[in-house]
Amino acid sequence: MFDLLVLMLANSVPLLFAAFGGLLSESSGVINFALEGMMLSGAFAAVLGTFVSGSPWVGLISGVAAGGLAGAVHATACLKFRANQIVSAIAVNLLAAGLTGWTLNQFFGVYGTSPEVSSLPRLGHYLPQTGLLSSLHGIAGEISVLVPVAICTVGAVICFLKHSVPGLRLRACGENPEAAASAGLSVERIRFAAVCAGGALAGLGGVYMSIGELAQFVENMTHGRGYLAIAAIILGRWRPDGVLLSVLFFAFAEALSEWLSVRWSSVPNEVFHALPYAACFLILSWYAGKHRAPTALGRIV
Amino acid sequence: MIRKSRSASTLLPAIVTGVAVCMGLGGLAGVGPLDLVETIWTGAWGGTDAAMNTLSKMTPLLLTGLSVALAYSAGLLNIGCEGQLTLGALVCATVARLAPPLPGFLLLPLALLSGALVGGVFAYPAVVLRQRRGVHEVITTLILNYIAIYACSYFVSGPLGDGTAMGRTPLIPEGARMAEIVRSGSLYLTAAPPAALLMCFAARFWLSRTVWGFEARASGSNPEAATNAGIAASKWQVGMFVVSGALAGLAGAMEVCAVHHRFYRSFSPGYGFDGLTAAFLANGAPGWLWLSTVFLASLRSADKWLQIGLNVSPNFILVVQAVLLFTVTCQGGIKSCLDRVVLRFRGRGGGTARAAESDRAGAGRS
Repeated sequence: MFDLLVLMLANSVPLLFAAFGGLLSESSGVINFALEGMMLSGAFAAVLGTFVSGSPWVGLISGVAAGGLAGAVHATACLKFRANQIVSAIAVNLLAAGLTGWTLNQFFGVYGTSPEVSSLPRLGHYLPQTGLLSSLHGIAGEISVLVPVAICTVGAVICFLKHSVPGLRLRACGENPEAAASAGLSVERIRFAAVCAGGALAGLGGVYMSIGELAQFVENMTHGRGYLAIAAIILGRWRPDGVLLSVLFFAFAEALSEWLSVRWSSVPNEVFHALPYAACFLILSWYAGKHRAPTALGRIV
Repeated sequence: MIRKSRSASTLLPAIVTGVAVCMGLGGLAGVGPLDLVETIWTGAWGGTDAAMNTLSKMTPLLLTGLSVALAYSAGLLNIGCEGQLTLGALVCATVARLAPPLPGFLLLPLALLSGALVGGVFAYPAVVLRQRRGVHEVITTLILNYIAIYACSYFVSGPLGDGTAMGRTPLIPEGARMAEIVRSGSLYLTAAPPAALLMCFAARFWLSRTVWGFEARASGSNPEAATNAGIAASKWQVGMFVVSGALAGLAGAMEVCAVHHRFYRSFSPGYGFDGLTAAFLANGAPGWLWLSTVFLASLRSADKWLQIGLNVSPNFILVVQAVLLFTVTCQGGIKSCLDRVVLRFRGRGGGTARAAESDRAGAGRS
């Protein structure tokens, strides 16, 4: 049972990063269906950065930068060129899928899977070998160093959106951009920053998948996590605590299906693959009544 | 939220910009622009075999493109083509195999219609959720894609498969296959591409020249105004979305009956997302789908030549599609940017800015 909880924690990390990144962007009034592409570019850039420099921390930074760059592309298309925000997001997802696969081939000369690089350290790396804390090795040793980072990030984003002045301004841009503009805020600039920051967070989710959990990039490795993150935002009704709860629910569904697929090996694998998506669809159709999106979501001033 | 601008004067600059960006990207990979165009041209249209291959790839692209375009004309975005197509293909292959012995002129339509039917049924929950609960159809259709693809993968390797480890169904009977109309060597072409093309033109006529088509478009562009005018806007949206799903299912069924004659695991190489690109490159106009589809089918059938001839990964095709999708959806912004450049250039070249401005206004009106 305990390993189920650890599995859930591990599965929730990429979703947490992506969902809270998407929440930043959507609270400012820009639809962000591009989380999938942002995660994928973050995952690839992390491996590329690690491979070039040899240090996974450089990989982490380049993954975050790549996610932010994908965000900047989406924001430029939506805000400067007034593109249809959903179509632009689909283009970002396609671009990320194409560019990562293409660069993988150009750079490493392989198809599908990159060579192994060094991964980010696990928590066990920092625990002392002797003394009181050494008994934690078995459990905490497995946990990636990005897990506490994710928890802190979630707390920071919640505080930022709920209690800080810039967070209030950001939400004002999503609720009533005209009023925000007449109060002297630069709506476009705030939205641009929000989408880029959201992209950077989603990129961090991708970093966790490529060099946190594994130590390599696999083509299309995000596998719809970005879409689950959007579903979590919708299900959480664009409120930070709600988003947190729905992310934990999806992570639990994923963990449960992984956990069961080991135990019930006679049941075909596809059932377990489809389970998180089916759970997502069912709960969306059953629960997502009367939600309230930011009023100006998708509207350009 | 969905804005429409259907004029060639804004679309063309966008496509030209997109193509230029793609060539620049190719240049980054060390491929000259002319090499790129030549490889794609010879790979797609150089010789009978290549041309027939490209033409047969047009069928699913035309149908998924039409599927996206019809839903879009009713104000909805159907990203679920991939799943609807896969399900349609599996159901078509199964119905064709398990149906009682029927003459061909009954079996083939039965198989095709069953594929279309299941595609439509699978699209229905997404649009109902949109209308009853306000959940955006993009997210629901995306999630349904995963469910459909995993479900098909399960059925084809289990109960509906041919018992081998290949993950495929048995071949469908001769009667359910579409007849060849052209043959060259081992390659042949069926009536599927012309049929899909006809459907696109029929849809164009229906949308722009009939009362029902007008009602459907009105429900898309302004549902409230349409409702006030006595049009059952929400019913039209549901109907158009189901038809959209049915077309995607039909695309899969046609692939089975015309090309592969069976269903196999990971059936669609991304035709659902290609349909999206096809529809937007044509600005959502079914009458122009043939052009965008010719382009996309050429890219698709040339992708292995990119790999063999130029050592560029087939993923480059996805990049090209994404860049074009960007430039087409940004077409308004790109046009005004270009206009500003032209304006500055003319101002310097001696003509007055006012003349250029009035030129631009005139071009916008025509």
